[in-house]
Amino acid sequence: MDKKVKVVPCSGIGKVYGLMAREAVLKTVIELCPDKSETVCLAYIVTGDKEVKEKIEGFNCITVDGCPKMCASKNVSITGGIVIEEIKVLDTVKAHKGKQFGSPTELTADGEVVMNEIAGKIAKKINEVN
Amino acid sequence: MLENYAILPCNGLDKCAGVISREIAIKLCEEAKNVMICPVYARVAEAKYNKIVEEHALLVIDGCQTRCASKLAAEKNLKISRKISVTEEAKIHHIELKSDLRLLKNENNLIEKILNGLNNTDNIVTPPYDEIHYLYNFTYTTFQNGKFIFRVPTNPKIYFNENDCWAYVIGNRARIGVTDFVQQNLSDILYFTPPDIGAEIDQFGEVGEIESSKSVFELISPVSGKVVAINEALVTKPDLINENPYESGWVAELELTDFNSDKELLIGFDQYFEIMKKKVEELNG
Amino acid sequence: MSEFKVGVLSCSGEECLGGTISRLATRKVLEELKFIDTVTLCLPLYLAGGEEERNFAKVFPTISVDGCDKLCAKRSTEKYSGKINGFIDVSKIIGDENALNTKIVRNKDLTDEHHQMVDEVVSEIVKTISNISPDAYSGKTFHGCGCGNE
Repeated sequence: MDKKVKVVPCSGIGKVYGLMAREAVLKTVIELCPDKSETVCLAYIVTGDKEVKEKIEGFNCITVDGCPKMCASKNVSITGGIVIEEIKVLDTVKAHKGKQFGSPTELTADGEVVMNEIAGKIAKKINEVN
Repeated sequence: MLENYAILPCNGLDKCAGVISREIAIKLCEEAKNVMICPVYARVAEAKYNKIVEEHALLVIDGCQTRCASKLAAEKNLKISRKISVTEEAKIHHIELKSDLRLLKNENNLIEKILNGLNNTDNIVTPPYDEIHYLYNFTYTTFQNGKFIFRVPTNPKIYFNENDCWAYVIGNRARIGVTDFVQQNLSDILYFTPPDIGAEIDQFGEVGEIESSKSVFELISPVSGKVVAINEALVTKPDLINENPYESGWVAELELTDFNSDKELLIGFDQYFEIMKKKVEELNG
Repeated sequence: MSEFKVGVLSCSGEECLGGTISRLATRKVLEELKFIDTVTLCLPLYLAGGEEERNFAKVFPTISVDGCDKLCAKRSTEKYSGKINGFIDVSKIIGDENALNTKIVRNKDLTDEHHQMVDEVVSEIVKTISNISPDAYSGKTFHGCGCGNE
């Protein structure tokens, strides 16, 4: 049985925090935990296609949201994913007061630092369950 | 002079104290800007008074120890700002109430003393802040620019300054906060620095700070007063201001110093809405 | 405010390169091409019921940009709004092999060749927007009671 944790970012395109969520998840599934995790597109999840439902329903999922609207967490839960951790980008951002993180298109060096911290949190949770 | 209150008398018909209660309520409404709530109508069709209780502090007048008016207010979940018991007042002023239902010299004397007591601001006992009921059934008018929606509440008890802050005034207290213009421009608000409890704030003085990754915004108080409460929820969830800057995102509560003077330099919904629209359009080109 | 705003809903899919190209192309149209007035709508927020996103899509024409032929942005937008004024399938522009590449997805891994692909998608977005019928522009500024009724 596929035991990989599904990691789903919100990827919001309007704010730098959406980019942070996206990049942190990609770093996790490509570099940090490639054998223990994989990502699933949030928009694909929302289509409700059978193929993606089978990927999510009943599986451990970690969601990464860029803003308090929590789109990834809400939609993964609705689809039947077991959200074992909701990561909020802003919780990490708050510890870096006064810094500039970039734009929704590109992260600055400070943005990369925060992104790496978030990736670390995701990886830590994956290693706990897997 | 006691003003801007909703008056709920007991209207007891079988005792002198009830007749006095009604007479006091009538005088308060005739002689000053207060509004009567009929207790009988309020019991059977309370919707008529929803807007009134939203916009006014509540004064309850009980005739006797049965306290029918107080019980009715509690039943309807109304917060009482001030309370008078005619029977208690008669004892305080050493006036004996007869069983007669007519208002003669003693009764009129008592009515005058009670009215003087109500109008004497030294005697106002302002309930602790958590007893003041800020009713939030606001209606809003909106303005959209691109995908962003800017709302402004139309409640006449909400006043604005041109620094995009608002004050919601109930009795001698006001809750203050920022408008949609501020929270939309700041985007996700991450930090909240509240004012100190007990701080004396001048009108247009600084009263706290909010910050996003884009910039810092210092709140400019629309009113003068003493800070009696802050919205503790904002300390851990400052994004409540983004969620609803007029309701769950209120910032601080002040005990007002001189609202009658402050009011002259504030604007209402009509004026602020136009100002805000212009600012949004200028910002977006 | 310009009457001729166009909303762009992009997929941002993380599973393949097409999503990355889709996202970057949409951002480039917004940031660099000032001669057309675009508004990027946050797809996750739109799907989750974001009031501002959906209100915009009701009033102004909207196009979707998808990284692959699953067309998630297009399908999801049609599901909730019922109206799409144009759509782009990035895999038709850069080829399936590129779009479905799962190895190269992060911004930092992109080469000049990938940025060239972004520019090709940008051209297609501009062309799609230009082809929107003038009838699609209701051009209304939403200004009404906050209860939701216009």
